Amino acid sequence: MRPEHWWYTAPLRIRSIFRRRRVESEMEEELRFHLEHRIEEGIANGLSPEDARRAALLAMGGLDQRKEEIRDARHVHWLTDFVDDLRYAVRSLRRTPGLTAFIVLTIALGVGMTATPLSMLDALIFRPYPVPRPGQVVTLVSTSRDNAFDSFSYREYRDIRDHARSYDGVVAHTALTTVAFSPRAAEIPRIRGALLVSGNFFRALEVEPRLGRGFRDDEDRVPGRDAVVVLGSDFWKSEFGGDRSVVGRTIRLNGRDFTVIGVAPDGFTSLYIFDRPDFYVPLAMAGSFTTNPKKSFFSDRDDRELTVRARLRRGTRLADARSELQSLARNFAREYSSTNRERGATVRTMLEMRTQPGDANWKFAVIFTTLAFVVLLVACTNAAGLLLARARARTREIAVRLAIGAGRFRLVRLLLTESLVLALLGGVCGVAIGYLGIAALQRFSIPAEIPVRIPFRMDERVLLASLGFSVLSALFCGLAPALQGTRVELVNGLKAGDVQEPGRRRLWGRNALVVAQVAMSLMLLAASFLMYRGFRHSLSEGLDFATNTKDHVLLARFDPRLAQYDPAKTQRFYRQLVERVREKPGIRTAALTQNPPLGLEGWDLVTFVPENFEMPRDRDVLSSRMDTIDEGYFETIGIPLVRGRGFRSSDDAGAPRVAIVNEHFAQHYWPGADAIGRRIRLGGPNGEPVEIVGVAQNIHYGDTFSGRTDFVYVPVAQHPVTRLVLMVRSEGDPLQLLEPVQEVVRSLDPNMPILRTMSYAELYRYSVVVGPGVAIKLVGTLGAVALVLAIAGLYGLVAYNVSRRTREIGIRMAIGARPRDVLRLVMGKGLTLVVIGTVFGLAMGFGVERLMNSMLFSAAGTDVTVYLVVVPAMLLVTMLAAYFPARRAARIPPTLALRYE
Amino acid sequence: MSRPADLVQGTLDLLLLKILALQPLHGWAISLRLRSLSSDVLQVSEGSLYPALHKLEQEGWIRSEWKQTENNRKAKFYSLTRLGRKQLEAETANWRRLSTAISQVVALSEA
Repeated sequence: MRPEHWWYTAPLRIRSIFRRRRVESEMEEELRFHLEHRIEEGIANGLSPEDARRAALLAMGGLDQRKEEIRDARHVHWLTDFVDDLRYAVRSLRRTPGLTAFIVLTIALGVGMTATPLSMLDALIFRPYPVPRPGQVVTLVSTSRDNAFDSFSYREYRDIRDHARSYDGVVAHTALTTVAFSPRAAEIPRIRGALLVSGNFFRALEVEPRLGRGFRDDEDRVPGRDAVVVLGSDFWKSEFGGDRSVVGRTIRLNGRDFTVIGVAPDGFTSLYIFDRPDFYVPLAMAGSFTTNPKKSFFSDRDDRELTVRARLRRGTRLADARSELQSLARNFAREYSSTNRERGATVRTMLEMRTQPGDANWKFAVIFTTLAFVVLLVACTNAAGLLLARARARTREIAVRLAIGAGRFRLVRLLLTESLVLALLGGVCGVAIGYLGIAALQRFSIPAEIPVRIPFRMDERVLLASLGFSVLSALFCGLAPALQGTRVELVNGLKAGDVQEPGRRRLWGRNALVVAQVAMSLMLLAASFLMYRGFRHSLSEGLDFATNTKDHVLLARFDPRLAQYDPAKTQRFYRQLVERVREKPGIRTAALTQNPPLGLEGWDLVTFVPENFEMPRDRDVLSSRMDTIDEGYFETIGIPLVRGRGFRSSDDAGAPRVAIVNEHFAQHYWPGADAIGRRIRLGGPNGEPVEIVGVAQNIHYGDTFSGRTDFVYVPVAQHPVTRLVLMVRSEGDPLQLLEPVQEVVRSLDPNMPILRTMSYAELYRYSVVVGPGVAIKLVGTLGAVALVLAIAGLYGLVAYNVSRRTREIGIRMAIGARPRDVLRLVMGKGLTLVVIGTVFGLAMGFGVERLMNSMLFSAAGTDVTVYLVVVPAMLLVTMLAAYFPARRAARIPPTLALRYE
Repeated sequence: MSRPADLVQGTLDLLLLKILALQPLHGWAISLRLRSLSSDVLQVSEGSLYPALHKLEQEGWIRSEWKQTENNRKAKFYSLTRLGRKQLEAETANWRRLSTAISQVVALSEA
């Protein structure tokens, strides 16, 4: 349609909708004007006034019909009809408040159960990057045999940036790193999170700072020269109270003065899901932030710390960008074979980045969402069953409407409007339920150094999706009853009302509903129980060490770089720290570790080649998780050594290199032999040889979902590290050690910040109790809701069937059936359905178990216990649901039943 | 349903547009004009007149206005819009083509 057309018609449509009464009365007036003239004409022609009036109306040919035609001409009939239907629906639903409330509640539960997982799914997978045109932003990754999502080194990034042609800007940033921040030089620093970014970061991502400016290219050119910083918006508000004069001010980061040049816009929280950086600093300042003292950030091609993002040039296909990057990677491998051999690169989309195979969070969200949708389905079948019953009870009303000329389509629309009203009411209540669920998730706190942003929220996307699903469920549960309810044989419908005998197909539909409900609820119950057992199982192994440790160990993290220590001074500090702490009364042992077990930071990996081990043909190094520890470690954390010895203070930089491995490692590489005295070469076939002096017990290292794994310990004296955790063990409450530890630190250096102190119990609680507990609770709620819905649905259907057959039952009893026979008659049918449903449910349960095992628990086989519990429970519950209405039927006195209508 | 069988489909629209192109009129006047102009050959039911008028209005081809008649009564007057004038031209051309074609066919069959 042309705009000119709309210019004339749009006001008319709007008028027809909103000034409906006025438009109607004008129509009446216009027709009356016509009729009056016609009557006058008739009288002038010699007719009597009555005859003239009759003739005038006759010429019109059915006044009311004409009016309808005129209304049709307005093209807004669908809407005004809808409003009428809505009014009618509300009125008729209010006549059966109990049933209405029940259906609304059912749908509310269904929709509410989906809102929480949808918010997780959205945050973890679908929510676009907070930048303009986010669809064009891709991530470039380095790939190796062990890691298909590896980062790039600074040198690699620069080569890619300078040579790739497929992008409008290639940016790089680090992961969120801790930084010691103080607003003024004199203040004790606090720990915040910073992101090191390339100079073109804001520009290429098209993120406009809300205050000041972003970085210039020349500020990211000379290492260490331009100490400038852009603040995160939230940090700016909380720390500086949104003061606009902050631009130009100087703050201290890691002991160095930085000039604030801008503030990032609201809502921009980097491209990571969980992070919210407080500072953005140019990569050229990496010297003040470096995390790997053994590597040189600006020159080592294998110091891979940078995530590289790029904006695809308009019109460039992803496949072309990929092949370009792959050929760049081949050049790297040729030119720098020592660092890039067997290393490729590829371009990943946002979706690929967020659904990495190694990440358990999104998998859980997917499984959780799937299960929630099954709950919604159960709720819908419930509502459908009830609406079906309702439509049948209204057979006569519908027959009357059809008899006086209502179209079937029009009636279906009316009935669908009713279910739409129900579903929207349910949807709104459901959103409220979902909101509570999400609020509970947001309270979940993670004991990390830098506060972790919980990204799950009820935003407009989740809201829209929830309401959308409630409309869909209206269609789903309303369509079948509406179609069936309007397929009425008029004569029978008018005559007999509700007692009409249903056809075979109708019964089939209702039976299918019961079977589906039982099957889906059984599957959900099995799934939640499986999830519970899965978590329990993966947590039952390797936690013996923690039962005692968790109540007696205090953790304190240090990073002497924050006090401008060089590597030598750092080592001296740690040595003195442990020595002096051990002398304090009340402290039994003390130790250093890079990362305590069950900690939140990922483990470092070590690459090695075991001696006298036949390497797989296609690779020349192996890798394992590792930790850097000192001689007090095993005693303090409580991990027993199975063979050999622990580290000694004599295992220092001048002594022969040593390492300790776990049992799994020893079995893995030297099965059936003694690992003590064997050697591994670190880094590669020509790396330094390290002798294995001890074998430690396998423990649960931290990742909830990981199975057993190789593990290597090396002594900190031979492998200096800057960031370490001091662990001190007491006889009593570990928090009482806080004061003595602080005293020691003050005596060594009053300017040394303690990054974070906590009892081991806090870590344990998060990793072992709270984290898995949330998952179990979420899925358990789903199972419980599904069970309740299934019980209610089954009860409703059986009860309805009984009430419909009351007269039949009466007749049976009048001619001699005993109550027991009636009971068997009514229940037998229900039980058959339940059994069929159970069979289907079992099949579905096995399928879900497969899925969960492959995605979450890396376990195999069938957990028979689960089904031994779930199936009988389900049978019992459903039998009860069928029993009560059946018993009621059996107790009806025949005389009453026969008179029942 | 709304159109008498003896009136070719769409012709009523053309007639109404043509009548209103001459001057704005109210419904009663249009019905009188229809009667006299077509000299009773074209039977237009009065009943179908108003739905047709409302349809044209909703299409944006004519617009309506409440005005005083000579007898000092309020009546709804219809007049042609710019869009309606275009539509009239198009339909007139269409009608010419159609009637020429038909009369040619009719002439053929008689020869």
